[in-house]
Amino acid sequence: MGASSNLLYIFTDALRSLRENMVTTALTAVTLGVSLSIFSIFLFVFINLNAAINSWGDRTQIVAYIKDGSEAPDRIRQAVLGIPGVKSVEFVSKEKALKELKDELKGHEAILAGVDANPLPASVEIKVGDLYKNPGAVTAVVDRLRRMDWVEDVQFNRQWIEKVSALLGFVELAAVFMGVFLAAATVFIISNTIRLAVYARKEEIEIMRLVGASNRFIKIPFFIEGVVQGLIGGLVALLIIGAGRYLVAAKIPPYFSFVVEAPLPVPVIIVILIVSGVTMGVAGSLISMAKFLRV
Amino acid sequence: MIQMFHVTKNYEGGTPALTDITLKIAKGDFIFITGASGAGKSTLLKIMFGSEPPTEGQIIIDGRNYFKISSGELPLLRRRIGFVFQDFKLIPNKTVFENVALALKVMGVSPREIKNRVLRMLSYVKLQHRANFKPLCLSGGEQQRVAIARALVKEPAIILADEPTGNLDPALSVETIELFKEVNNRGTTVVVATHDKSLIERYGRKTIHLENGRLAG
Repeated sequence: MGASSNLLYIFTDALRSLRENMVTTALTAVTLGVSLSIFSIFLFVFINLNAAINSWGDRTQIVAYIKDGSEAPDRIRQAVLGIPGVKSVEFVSKEKALKELKDELKGHEAILAGVDANPLPASVEIKVGDLYKNPGAVTAVVDRLRRMDWVEDVQFNRQWIEKVSALLGFVELAAVFMGVFLAAATVFIISNTIRLAVYARKEEIEIMRLVGASNRFIKIPFFIEGVVQGLIGGLVALLIIGAGRYLVAAKIPPYFSFVVEAPLPVPVIIVILIVSGVTMGVAGSLISMAKFLRV
Repeated sequence: MIQMFHVTKNYEGGTPALTDITLKIAKGDFIFITGASGAGKSTLLKIMFGSEPPTEGQIIIDGRNYFKISSGELPLLRRRIGFVFQDFKLIPNKTVFENVALALKVMGVSPREIKNRVLRMLSYVKLQHRANFKPLCLSGGEQQRVAIARALVKEPAIILADEPTGNLDPALSVETIELFKEVNNRGTTVVVATHDKSLIERYGRKTIHLENGRLAG
């Protein structure tokens, strides 16, 4: 009998064993799915919260006012972009500044009635990169700006930066603690559920060893069961997350809706959940049975 | 066929199960291992089968030294040995047919051949009418015969049987030993551990007698 038909035989047998152990397989798969969904929901909420706080940090803007008659805008822009941490620079000319002021004062033009010359300075609006949105880094950028001879004055919102930075630090710390705790709990629950399911078949594994079954012969059914359990577990997690999002999204206020946004494209989430489920199912199954193969 | 040199087995924290056993069983032999309960008969068989490692000594089975074979080769060696366990070791959620078929499946025998050989073997041990029963629906004696069928179906070079008549009445005990005799007549080496003196006297075969883990007589 050829190796391929032998393998086919082992596979058919594995599928039959899967049917025989349907209840255990289903329970393990659901436990896997629920654990996976709890961890994923935590991860999604954290990613969304982190992104939201980071976007608040985009308001971290530094404005440097330029002395009249200074260098050409392009050279100023190049000089600012040369400062470490600067992400973008927008030049606002004297004319543009006046136009913006006039737009803001629409309906109260009288205020500017006696002003002939343009009293407003040109400026550059500077945004820093994500890694530099903390008080220390922003102050360093401001200090560099102040030393440039074309700079009249520099303005930035120190309090805002400090608050956003503190909040980000807290959220990240909380996420690390909760993430480690949840990940450990997920691995613990999944590995123990699979271990119990495998333990129930300890005798069968031992007998197979004693009648001369190779490790491959014994492992393949467990591998297939691990794949099926993981696949179902991944789908269960997907279902819980999808249904949960649908139910929650309808009830939370719009300003808080960012929390239930999908942090990654949906197909990517599906693939990640199913791959994680299958990996956990197979690894759990094969690791749990390994000690019974030493008979 | 089976050679043991100065084999000793000590269980952790217990008295020695076997001490300095040296023996040689030739191809085609039919041997009874005798001794009281706890004399070390089961341990001796398990060491011959490779499911218990000895604490000291060397064992050569079918030309292979147990200490020199890899874990991947052990299943191949076990396929040449049929072991009848004292507690049968049948898989409870598989039918009688499936339990016996397992010994052939692991060897990669084709489904058609498995069916033919298993049914023939079940009829040989007079259990063809029980093929679709689960082991727990059978009497102790019937389970014993399923275990024997599983050991014989692969036509092994060696049969090791641990108290194979322990659950059988005298008539069935004789029938079982007759089965082993037939297999032995076809060239299979048979080693039977038993404390049933009447069987030993009846068949007058070679015996290895154990007393407190040592060879005696």
